[in-house]
Amino acid sequence: MSKKKYWKSFGEQQQSEAYKKLAQDEFKEDLPFEDFDSKGLLDAKSPRRDFLKYLGFSTAAAALAASCKQPIKKAIPYAVKPDNMIAGVADYYATTYVNNGEVVPVVAKVRDGRPIKIEGNTLCSFTGGGTSARVQASVLDLYDMSRLRYPVEHHNNDYTQVPTFEQLDSKIGAEMTAAGGQVVLLTGTINSETTKAAIDAFVKAKAARHVQYDGISYSGMLQANEATYGKKNIPVYRFDNAKVIVSLGADFLGTWVAPIEHAVQYAAGRRVSDQTKEMSKHYQFESFLSMTGANADERYTHKPSQTGAVALALHAAVTGGTGPSVTDKKLSAGIAKAAADLKANAGKAVVVSGSNDVNVQIVVNAINSAINANGTTIDWAQTNNCIQGDDLAMKQLVDEMNGGKIGTLLIHGVNPGYTYFDKKAFADGIKKVPCSISFSEKKDETASLCKYIIPDHHYLESWGDASPRTNYTSFIQPAIHPLFKTRNWQTSLLKWSGTNIDYAEYFKNYWIQKLGGQDAFDKTLQNGVIEPAAATAAGATFNGARLTDATAKIGAAKTSEYEIALYQKVGIGDGRYANNPWLQELPDPVTKATWDNYAMVGAKTAEKLDINYKGINYEYHPEKPVFTVKTASGKAVELPVLVIPGCAEGVIAIALGYGRSADAGVAADGAGKDVYPFTSFDGNTVQYSAAGSITKKGGSYKVAQNQVHNYYEDRFEVLKERTLAEAKEHPKAIIEEREHEYAPYGGLANFRKQATIYPDHAEGRGIHWGMSVDLNSCIGCGACVVACNAENNVPIVGKKEVTRGHDMHWIRIDRYFSSRNPQDIDDKNDPDDVDVVFNPTMCQHCDNAPCENVCPVAATNHSSEGMNQMTYNRCIGTRYCANNCPFKVRRFNWADYTGADAFPNNQDAASGLAAVVTEQMNDELTRMVLNPDVTVRSRGVIEKCSFCVQRLQEGKLNAKKESRELTDGDVKVACAQACPTHAIVFGNANDPKSAIAKLRKDEQTERMHYMLEMLHVLPNVNYLVKIRNKDHIAGLVKEEEHGEQKTETKKEATH
Amino acid sequence: MSLLKYESQIREPLIDGNKDYHQVTEDICRPIEMPATKAWKIGFAVSVALLLFGVLSVTMEVIYGIGKWNLNKTIGWGWDITNFVWWIGIGHAGTLISAILLLFRQGWRTGVNRAAEAMTIFAVMCAGQFPIFHMGRVWDAFFVMPYPNTRGSLWVNFNSPLLWDVFAISTYFTVSLLFWYSGLLPDLATIRDRAKKKWRKAMYGVLSFGWTGSTKHWQRHESLSLVLAGLSTPLVLSVHTIVSFDFATSVVPGWHTTIFPPYFVAGAIFSGFAMVQTLMVVTRKTLGLQDYVTIGHIEAMNKVIVLTGSIVGCAYLTELFIAWYGQNKYEWFAFKENRVNLFSPYGWSYWLMMACNVISPQIFWFRKMRRNITVTFFMSVIVNIGMWFERFVIIVTSVYRDYLPSSWGYYYSPSIWEAGFYLGTFGLFFTLYFLFVKYFPVIAIAEIKAILKTTGENYKAKMGGTDRLGVDQFAQETAHH
Repeated sequence: MSKKKYWKSFGEQQQSEAYKKLAQDEFKEDLPFEDFDSKGLLDAKSPRRDFLKYLGFSTAAAALAASCKQPIKKAIPYAVKPDNMIAGVADYYATTYVNNGEVVPVVAKVRDGRPIKIEGNTLCSFTGGGTSARVQASVLDLYDMSRLRYPVEHHNNDYTQVPTFEQLDSKIGAEMTAAGGQVVLLTGTINSETTKAAIDAFVKAKAARHVQYDGISYSGMLQANEATYGKKNIPVYRFDNAKVIVSLGADFLGTWVAPIEHAVQYAAGRRVSDQTKEMSKHYQFESFLSMTGANADERYTHKPSQTGAVALALHAAVTGGTGPSVTDKKLSAGIAKAAADLKANAGKAVVVSGSNDVNVQIVVNAINSAINANGTTIDWAQTNNCIQGDDLAMKQLVDEMNGGKIGTLLIHGVNPGYTYFDKKAFADGIKKVPCSISFSEKKDETASLCKYIIPDHHYLESWGDASPRTNYTSFIQPAIHPLFKTRNWQTSLLKWSGTNIDYAEYFKNYWIQKLGGQDAFDKTLQNGVIEPAAATAAGATFNGARLTDATAKIGAAKTSEYEIALYQKVGIGDGRYANNPWLQELPDPVTKATWDNYAMVGAKTAEKLDINYKGINYEYHPEKPVFTVKTASGKAVELPVLVIPGCAEGVIAIALGYGRSADAGVAADGAGKDVYPFTSFDGNTVQYSAAGSITKKGGSYKVAQNQVHNYYEDRFEVLKERTLAEAKEHPKAIIEEREHEYAPYGGLANFRKQATIYPDHAEGRGIHWGMSVDLNSCIGCGACVVACNAENNVPIVGKKEVTRGHDMHWIRIDRYFSSRNPQDIDDKNDPDDVDVVFNPTMCQHCDNAPCENVCPVAATNHSSEGMNQMTYNRCIGTRYCANNCPFKVRRFNWADYTGADAFPNNQDAASGLAAVVTEQMNDELTRMVLNPDVTVRSRGVIEKCSFCVQRLQEGKLNAKKESRELTDGDVKVACAQACPTHAIVFGNANDPKSAIAKLRKDEQTERMHYMLEMLHVLPNVNYLVKIRNKDHIAGLVKEEEHGEQKTETKKEATH
Repeated sequence: MSLLKYESQIREPLIDGNKDYHQVTEDICRPIEMPATKAWKIGFAVSVALLLFGVLSVTMEVIYGIGKWNLNKTIGWGWDITNFVWWIGIGHAGTLISAILLLFRQGWRTGVNRAAEAMTIFAVMCAGQFPIFHMGRVWDAFFVMPYPNTRGSLWVNFNSPLLWDVFAISTYFTVSLLFWYSGLLPDLATIRDRAKKKWRKAMYGVLSFGWTGSTKHWQRHESLSLVLAGLSTPLVLSVHTIVSFDFATSVVPGWHTTIFPPYFVAGAIFSGFAMVQTLMVVTRKTLGLQDYVTIGHIEAMNKVIVLTGSIVGCAYLTELFIAWYGQNKYEWFAFKENRVNLFSPYGWSYWLMMACNVISPQIFWFRKMRRNITVTFFMSVIVNIGMWFERFVIIVTSVYRDYLPSSWGYYYSPSIWEAGFYLGTFGLFFTLYFLFVKYFPVIAIAEIKAILKTTGENYKAKMGGTDRLGVDQFAQETAHH
């Protein structure tokens, strides 16, 4: 080869100095990668998102200049694709949802780096993969706009960013030393082993004190258990072992202690099939209609102040002693009945109480001891670690703060500035603490009182573990790189206690050492949970020493004409999730109201208050009369009154968790009123009821309910309910009824073909999707509703649009009172005597769908697999299908709720339609939660349940790739997967091995029916009749008195 | 045509006064040839203002969404489809007058047919706005047209009554427009011939398609009229039948009613005649055409109103009876609780409908009332209010409480934009009507002339001695000059 040298310039030829310098500095500036190291992705100098923004902007500008088409936003594919990531294929990470102490092992679905959906971890024995509305909604909190994006220092209403964590650590170190005094760590219930270790290290290093406090206190139970069993713990309840469940105001399916596991057990004990016709009997004594009460077989109401008396009377009836006389005849009969059942089922019964009064809980423990619940339905071998807060310790801390004894206060996971009964004392106290630090993710009521806020990671960004029960561990692993400049709060503790280690490292080291190696650790990480070996249930010895004292104290309780009962809603809870639009728009199971709290009163109270709740104006208009509710101690709040039959006379029930400060976020801002000031401290524990008064304020306030009519008007074609005795005595009654109804068509078997002159296109082989909804298992918790929101990108419309009937939920839980419409109630019947039935309703995917034939453009049509499908881009929005849907499940996009519209700027305030929450839901950050597999619908089209068609396609494709037939486990629809009670079963009805086929052919033939079957729309969703373990169904008593005859004629008359 | 027609002397003359052919032309062309009156200008300005408000209302709805209206998840159709059916119904009188009455050789139709046909066309134009703009995505409205396309090929759903509407209404509009316009040709030519200004001559020259009045033209014109009358006749029955299918073929209790087709047609003619009365009572007075639209005309139309009103009343009672007799509890609930029950949320609208449509027209059993202009005008408005409520009752009170009580909705009343859309169609209708009365002959000149010699007052007066005349002489006296 020749050694010729090629050159482009004289500089190159001569290798001049200038040329060399130029060649060396060709890329003078470093690539901006190091920005990513310390800060969150979004805070980097020129992060990828900014790059995308600029690219998007320039493309948009070019597109706009070139035409009037919609701007196209481009995403850039990976230049080098990470090995473990396939674009468009979801990854699943086992992690754990922790709400204060409540622990739910979950699996996070991650698509292209973004967690978009939470599913229950089926490996967990006690939840069985069940979830709750809050668990489902927690993924949205990750993308909450109101999250703090970096640590801040607060002085004089001014928040300044602390640039680096090093600066922060040194600053705080100095401040803590300067502050002197006691160092106190105030947290919620901590049940994580590694966190406890970190806390211990901190406590030791700083001579600190650790105080646990729960927003909603269960101190009464803890103290009672300490007094009677010597264990300051909450045992594990086993409702599945109970034949008789008596709840004294405990909302154990919705909010009490560990609702998901209770729901799982409860449903297991009440599953009725053709083969087994046994179910537990559930008595509920409560002061207002709770979700759990709505599920009860027998309900009795009383005032909150009578809770103790009821417990004592029950105790007396069970033990044969003498208790206080209960004047209410119905109530005392109920107590006698429940006591008789408890005694008869000793060892197979349980009593729980939602009271936070130590004395009441002591009596309840005495009853449980008398009926031998310990060791069978109450397991003391394991403790439930989700509640450890102590009201006395908290009270003491606040006193010390006010006394100036506290030098440093660190707060994590609790918001006493909002939830504490005496907020003023807390706020005053914290001002006297020289160094106050909050680890809150948001600038909540408490954090804004603190000097430093060092935001913690969201659980989907962090490492960790939780131990919901003795010897049970569930791992938390991150599903995404922290979005913001946040830090695990445990890291702060470790660093400040002198251990210069990151919590993630600490966690890994701890568990690798404990589990005995990396492999074991990885395995656990993959499974998410470490299940302890099955242990037999253990009892505990009851010590009745304090029973006499408790009895005396209960006797001192005074009743008053009006009493206020405070409760939590299944969605909002203690208010922690108030800024979650999914939860705000989730209707309360009982009242069906969204976005607000209100004064809930019963029918008799409404009459006393002179509210014309029977009038059409009350029902058909969202405006509800406003009243002033006042406690005896003089605290007042103005609230609209919502009349819900089933509340005790004189009881005003108000939900906690509303009325958050504007800092909590735009969704929480303005939603409801704060009633934490109504809580009080009785010297031992915080009380959630109070004597009070109610006066008419005048005016009205709109309450956004998504169901306004409460009664099912004897429409047995819509839903059917029977008593257990009837089901046993006459098991085939439903089948016979249907046979009789369709006799003109040759009976039930021929109805499908004979009731039409058209050929049955749905007939055939292959897949035919079907769903079954068990009205006996559904507890109304709403987990399915939020799961559906998350899976299908269902728009959130905001309060105003809900009041206009524009809510968009694809699945709703219709709640009916099975009693007479108030207008029809005669004097003999009690308007507050209601039974409740929850009826989850989604698109019924009719094989002979009335919506399909009316669409002029065939935008809704039938698939060969029995699905009624919606073609959004064909839909022109005539709403004819929605009118013609007998189930009213079709939802129209009344406005541009999603930002997917072709018209720009039509979400501005002038539209009067888009709420602030629309802005929140359409923020770049919040939109990261959208499921990329599901089209975001634009304005003007109809949408509805699709049977999660994207999941069905995925399941079919997976089966196809593996060259096998689709099997039952391949597809799960979001609602069925989320349901803790397995009320929803879904699958291929043509596959004889599938659960749905078995259910329809063998297991549930007696209870199965279709909603509005007589219309011959041929739904693919069937319902299983509600079975009540009681003598009479409220409201239906009359027919039974007249004998079966009348009911029969009535039903016959309908066709 | 009616070259030789003998009309009984007892019959009231259809053209009053001492008219000859020239006078007829003069009378009818006068409003067109004189400058616009102040009343016309004010009326026109008000109409245009309403129209503009309608345009604003529709713009708001198109930009921001149907959410601008107060419809909801339960009540998918409200004022929009109510107004659609109402306007379509109004159109029917024009077609009935021009087609069926022509075939039945009802001479009195000539006094009102032109205006009634114009009303038909304008009403259909107004009606058409609603199904178009009630769509969530109106920019995709062309999807309802079955045109060859590259989408697969994707066709419309021929099962859908809404699609049948598309065909029914487009056919109806086309035929009505042709019929009306072909009738206008000779009269436009008359105006052209009388025009003094050049631009006027040119304009009417173009509009009259070069009509010369030759026998050949007349012969073709007559044949075309007959053919179009034949085509229109079934449309009188079919269009509203198909509109009623929107409801009758559904599963909604209260909609799913087999009586709907005849009931809707009767209702349409009922409201249509009422609208003709409203318009003609004012038009004849302001344009001084009392001689051509006589009290006899008004009486004849009032007879149609009392007849069709009674048919409608019968239909109301029949469907109520059948709802009870049929023992379908959902249907019976829709009638008993949603409608008849005065204390239900919309009970008032049912009884308002009953009062306006069934009870009040009974006043026309009295001749004195039939011939009273004030009563007629008042009643015509009442009837159209009633007929609007009939459609409202059918649409809204059926869906707001249907099968599942959980879905029973909030009380529905229209938003300003929803009402504005309706007002806007009034604006459109009257804008067009004002232009029509200013630039087109309100009465068919040529057709009036055709009956002048048989039913004109002066000719009738001379008729006394007809029997004394020989055949030839009679022909000479009464034939066209």
